[in-house]
Amino acid sequence: MLSPYTVLDLTGGRGDLASMLLGDMGANVIKIEPPGGSAGRREPPFMEGGLEAERSLNFFAFNRNKQGITLDLESKAGRNALRALVKEADFLFESGQPKTLDSIGLGFDVLKNINPKVIHVAISPYGWDGPHSDYAASDLTIAAMGGPMSVQGVRERAPLRISVPQVWLHTGAEAATAALTAHALMIQTGEAQFVDVSAQTAMIATMLSATSAHAIQGTDYQRAGALLQLGQASIPLVFQCADGYVVIAPTGPTLAVIVHWFVEEGLVPESWISGEDWPTYHFRLLQGQPISYPLDEVLEAVTKLAIRYTKSQLLERGLAEGVSLAPVNSVGDLAGFKQLEERGYWLTAPLPNGQEAQVPGLVVRMTETPMSVRSWTPTLHEHNNDVLGSVLGMSKEEISLASGVDAG
Amino acid sequence: MTTPLPFEGLKVLDLSWVVVGPTTAKYLGDHGATVVRVEATTPLDILRTAGPFKDNVPGFDRSQFFGEYNTSKLGISLNLKNPAGKEIAKRLIEWADVFIESFTAGTVDSLGIGYETARELNPSIIMVSTCLMGQTGSAAAFSGFGFHAGSIAGFYETTGWSDLPPDGPWVAYTDTVAPHILSASIMAALDHRRRTGQGQFIDASQLEMSLHFLSPQIMDYSTTGKTVTRIGNRSEFFAPQGAYPCAGDDRWCAIAVESEEHWEGLKSAMGGPDWALDGKLDSMEARLENHDAIDQHISEWTKDQDAKALMQLLLSHGVPAGVVQRSSDLETDPQLSHRSYFRHLEHQEMGTVPYAGHQFRIKGYDSGPRFASPVLGQHNEQVLRDVLGMTDDEITEAIIAEAIM
Repeated sequence: MLSPYTVLDLTGGRGDLASMLLGDMGANVIKIEPPGGSAGRREPPFMEGGLEAERSLNFFAFNRNKQGITLDLESKAGRNALRALVKEADFLFESGQPKTLDSIGLGFDVLKNINPKVIHVAISPYGWDGPHSDYAASDLTIAAMGGPMSVQGVRERAPLRISVPQVWLHTGAEAATAALTAHALMIQTGEAQFVDVSAQTAMIATMLSATSAHAIQGTDYQRAGALLQLGQASIPLVFQCADGYVVIAPTGPTLAVIVHWFVEEGLVPESWISGEDWPTYHFRLLQGQPISYPLDEVLEAVTKLAIRYTKSQLLERGLAEGVSLAPVNSVGDLAGFKQLEERGYWLTAPLPNGQEAQVPGLVVRMTETPMSVRSWTPTLHEHNNDVLGSVLGMSKEEISLASGVDAG
Repeated sequence: MTTPLPFEGLKVLDLSWVVVGPTTAKYLGDHGATVVRVEATTPLDILRTAGPFKDNVPGFDRSQFFGEYNTSKLGISLNLKNPAGKEIAKRLIEWADVFIESFTAGTVDSLGIGYETARELNPSIIMVSTCLMGQTGSAAAFSGFGFHAGSIAGFYETTGWSDLPPDGPWVAYTDTVAPHILSASIMAALDHRRRTGQGQFIDASQLEMSLHFLSPQIMDYSTTGKTVTRIGNRSEFFAPQGAYPCAGDDRWCAIAVESEEHWEGLKSAMGGPDWALDGKLDSMEARLENHDAIDQHISEWTKDQDAKALMQLLLSHGVPAGVVQRSSDLETDPQLSHRSYFRHLEHQEMGTVPYAGHQFRIKGYDSGPRFASPVLGQHNEQVLRDVLGMTDDEITEAIIAEAIM
């Protein structure tokens, strides 16, 4: 789908997903790392054994469908090679401290002269300029400044982030959208575009209803654990079951089915079945209109029901009867979820340490231009000779100088 | 000279609801497309019944949860179960370049406006169906919200404190992941269509998109059997890190020490505290092992300090730090002001209210949102007359037939 386009990825562990998405969509992506390798290669978690530069599962996960080269941008030869690549490229992603490329004479103003149609996407914690643009940042501190932590967790303890780092993934995915938006603008104007993606704002987008809460309703939302706060009503979502936890939302379609289970299990009188218009229960609850059974009583029945069954029993019976009961899965539980297998979602990747790993497949299914994984993550400087030699026509000596790695 | 908008001229039929579909359509609208958002009134988009409500007064037209994801759209309320309403939907499908829906798998087919019909009406249409589990498979009909898919994906297991039940991320996590990826996919499909004239069908499972955000952990499990779980604000690899209490009501500052440089910076910001003098904590392993004790020392030091001043002090020593900002803090965040992040737009019922802006800026181009979200049925006549070219008589007939509500 994007096969006419070439993407240069200079991101160092903060935005690898952006060019991976374009690569899955068919673009020709070249990952450009410093001679010692991307900082992303040192990001945990790590696989067991193997060469040090190839051990990061994090790096492996987000760099498929890319050719990998190194360039020593501190050398003139390296910078010249980058200029030559930019000439033929459609997109360039970078995630250094703002203005790093400018400082070596390869800022947007220079790049657009080399290639008047290039889309230059700069990914940074807070944005390219402005009062916070030079703040030191990490996944945790951006999650804090972006706001989602303020509404996650319980009131008795500190605000909470998701334990698995998410910031650079939101930012990277958004950078793909940003790049294609700018590309559409370039089609309209014929001019190169500079795009400034801010990780902080990518995290604000995860606040959903809490984003403008204070300006709209006059108060901030308070963190309250797994309680779903919907303005007029707050609803607990997580219930303990026989072997863990399950998410059950007391919405109409759910209650219309499980009210029969309540009765079967003797948790409520049979009169409950006809005593309420269950399919519209949650709409009336949210609108503060009359309901036959108070939420407390409904939740008590849900609590007593859930504890009698396992996660998979609840999921399976729910699926059979058309009601959504969602187990709180671990990655292990997820591996056994049949739906993903039935849809052929999982892919198997050969890791550099010789193991095979299960990896998430194609992001979406398209009938005419299906996405694909054509190659797995390159090892450090794997394609130096292919790209610098075959494509740019550089000699071995020139490749060594530009890449900072002996081309033999 | 006005700059053209990226998707100027593009026509989008947004028959989706809740968060993922509307957000995706909103992206296209904010960046220039004409988007017609079709709403059914039975049931109403649940976001219209969920807060925050303007001035805390509930009402279908007062929810900014709905408003946030429906900017730059023309809104019409259409009865899709009524034959005349269905006819109007079909005319909108003929009109559109992109058709987005997010009902439970199979619903549009049963309404007679599935992809087969859409393609007959409009051969080069790009139709997008997005739901939690995708259009096929034994769980295709598993309908619900982003908290259901978030729980199945593993985001509940990995959000919370290790000694407490899972908290889960705020509200509906997969709804925050899917729109980035779905928007990019549609934009790529549009570029392909521009070059070839070819439309297509996109099946977008919100679970499948979101699992990429746990990709390294899934790979880790498949090769070592290790299952990742919730560990509060800590990292398995770096220490210390956490949100530390500050002066005032529920004020916190996040601090993350991810390297020896950060550690030296933290110690110097703290004025070289006695407990860290002997050098025994000068390795990541030692700090991971003694995290509880280190946290106590840091909390003791932070608890009477102003969160913002503390952040500045730590940053000046090269330590990543960030105040835990609330919605009220975002309103006055100078970096967000610098980016013109919040846009104040005039809404027909709520008056002037802030809308979140975009996560990126393109130099020399103002990304919007361009105009406020519609009240229910705000553009009924405009859409029928200006978009579909219906005559006054036809519009009156549609109203009498109860196609429009």
